[in-house]
Amino acid sequence: MNILKDLPELIDSDIISEETAARIRAYYQQKEGRPSSKLFIVFGILGSILVGLGIILIIAHNWDNLSRLTKTIFAFLPLVVGQIFCGYVLMRKRDNISWRESTAVFLFFAVGASISLVSQIYNIPGNVSSFLLTWSLLCLPLVYLLESSLVSLLYLVGITYYAVETNYWSNDESHIFWLLLLLIFPHCHNLYKRNPESNFMSFHHWLVPTSVVIVLGTVAGRVPELMLVAYFSLFGLLYLVGNLPFFSGLKLRSNGYRVIGSLGTVVLLLALSFDGFWKNLIDKEMSTWMLLSREFLTSALLTLLASTLLYKQQKGMQLSEIKPASTIFLLFALTFVVGMYSPIAIVLINIYILALGILIVREGARMDHLGVLNYGLLVITALVICRFFDTNLSFILRGILFVAVGVGFFMTNYWMLKKRKTDE
Amino acid sequence: MSRKKLILPTFVLVVVVQLSVPAKMILDRENIIKEGSVHLFRTAPVDPYDPFRGKYIILSFADNMVGVEDESEWSWGESAYLQIAPDSSGFTTPQRVSKYPPDTGDYLEVMVSYVTSNGTNRLTINYPFDRFYMEESKAPRAERSYFESLRDSTQRTYAVVSVKNGEFVLLDVMIDGISITEIAEREITEDSN
Repeated sequence: MNILKDLPELIDSDIISEETAARIRAYYQQKEGRPSSKLFIVFGILGSILVGLGIILIIAHNWDNLSRLTKTIFAFLPLVVGQIFCGYVLMRKRDNISWRESTAVFLFFAVGASISLVSQIYNIPGNVSSFLLTWSLLCLPLVYLLESSLVSLLYLVGITYYAVETNYWSNDESHIFWLLLLLIFPHCHNLYKRNPESNFMSFHHWLVPTSVVIVLGTVAGRVPELMLVAYFSLFGLLYLVGNLPFFSGLKLRSNGYRVIGSLGTVVLLLALSFDGFWKNLIDKEMSTWMLLSREFLTSALLTLLASTLLYKQQKGMQLSEIKPASTIFLLFALTFVVGMYSPIAIVLINIYILALGILIVREGARMDHLGVLNYGLLVITALVICRFFDTNLSFILRGILFVAVGVGFFMTNYWMLKKRKTDE
Repeated sequence: MSRKKLILPTFVLVVVVQLSVPAKMILDRENIIKEGSVHLFRTAPVDPYDPFRGKYIILSFADNMVGVEDESEWSWGESAYLQIAPDSSGFTTPQRVSKYPPDTGDYLEVMVSYVTSNGTNRLTINYPFDRFYMEESKAPRAERSYFESLRDSTQRTYAVVSVKNGEFVLLDVMIDGISITEIAEREITEDSN
């Protein structure tokens, strides 16, 4: 903390008293936690990962001279060692985070190792899906028994990989992921109650939405087009979640919900500003059974959730206070219906992007935040670049557009910096 | 009982479950080895430039086609049940393929990797055992011997597989009746001499 370094100077200049300085120090110490304990956690975890992986490699040598029985006994070795350590921690060191995290992580890898070693000994072919599912489920209890956030993160990676492997990379279909995801929420809640500003919490804020965004596509079946409505509503929902009172106090780098929600919305809008998707949509024959398709139901559910949240958040607010990116999902749902009958949808999408960019710039100006302001300008630039490629505008017109946007960048940044100076 | 008191018994339960998964895998395989019937599958040449995959060798099989009544009922990537039986030369060949496990005879669950579309009604299938794990120092040498023997038509290369109720254990890969592990070991000694 810089302020801590400045304390002696502030005391010397009689700006604060010794007592106040001591209180400031105590406050930051309590807030930050002991730096050495953080290091212990990091090194403990790194150490156990390395030892765990090392043991796996040694056993993976597949000692041919050993009998099958000896080899299988060795396959259990890391597992049993990990379990003994975890048992010891549960009985004696339950209050020590670095012990809990490192033994839990070691056991996590040991479980995966012993299953794959047995597969190797018996030449069992790799069915990655069932392996990942078994592995994740066997380690889920560690998240709660040892209160291990790192195992929770690894579990999230595991179930996401499982869903991707099962649904995208092979012909099978499985929707158990959503249930598996719910199983981790009590831990997130505990973590939030105990230490809402910890690094583990911010990792969860990134990993949970990322995982949901990746896996939502597995819902797609016979009407994949409808999934776009679902995705827009999901991004809207994430954005709105990121604006909840608890999250809005976080730094942007800890607020994965807001960043993913906003970026996702912009990227999808840009992708749909080309005419390919809309041409197919107009040609597609729609019928009533699609209203019962799982894509439609998913989209409806997500849109409903996001709308409810939007309504709750914006109640009593002025129209100008509404965050621009939080309403796009509703507009898109309407545009999608329009797009089934008319090519005007492409024009609408382009207008949304332009409006979104301008509104973000305005928001940035109002917040006096250069990052937000330039994000808005980038959205506009991206739109201009996209149109640069697929329109028949003359070179002169395109050139003027580019120059205009470039000048816009200079002007707005200059204006903002100047405003800051005069404010000072 | 308080939450803290519950943690230890729950942990013991988790330990037991974690141990039981690999243990069950081992017991199942041992049971197949003990009670299953042994089949020999002729292996087929594969692209020798196939990148070496670490500590196992990749196997591909010669008898990997089977006739069906109607090819349109089958599609790529689906799993099927393949009835198998040894032919006159002692090697196991595919007999019949069905969507459900057969009541009698040995069978394997296989994946359909290709379906003809010209009315010849044939499926190409992938056997579920395609990897043979070896000690890392031997695997490269063993793979070389494996490829050499495949190109040499006088040598017979085959996989020994124990099968029971659709489950299987790949026991060994043999070149002219000698285990590939033994051959690799012998050749490594010769190389070093």
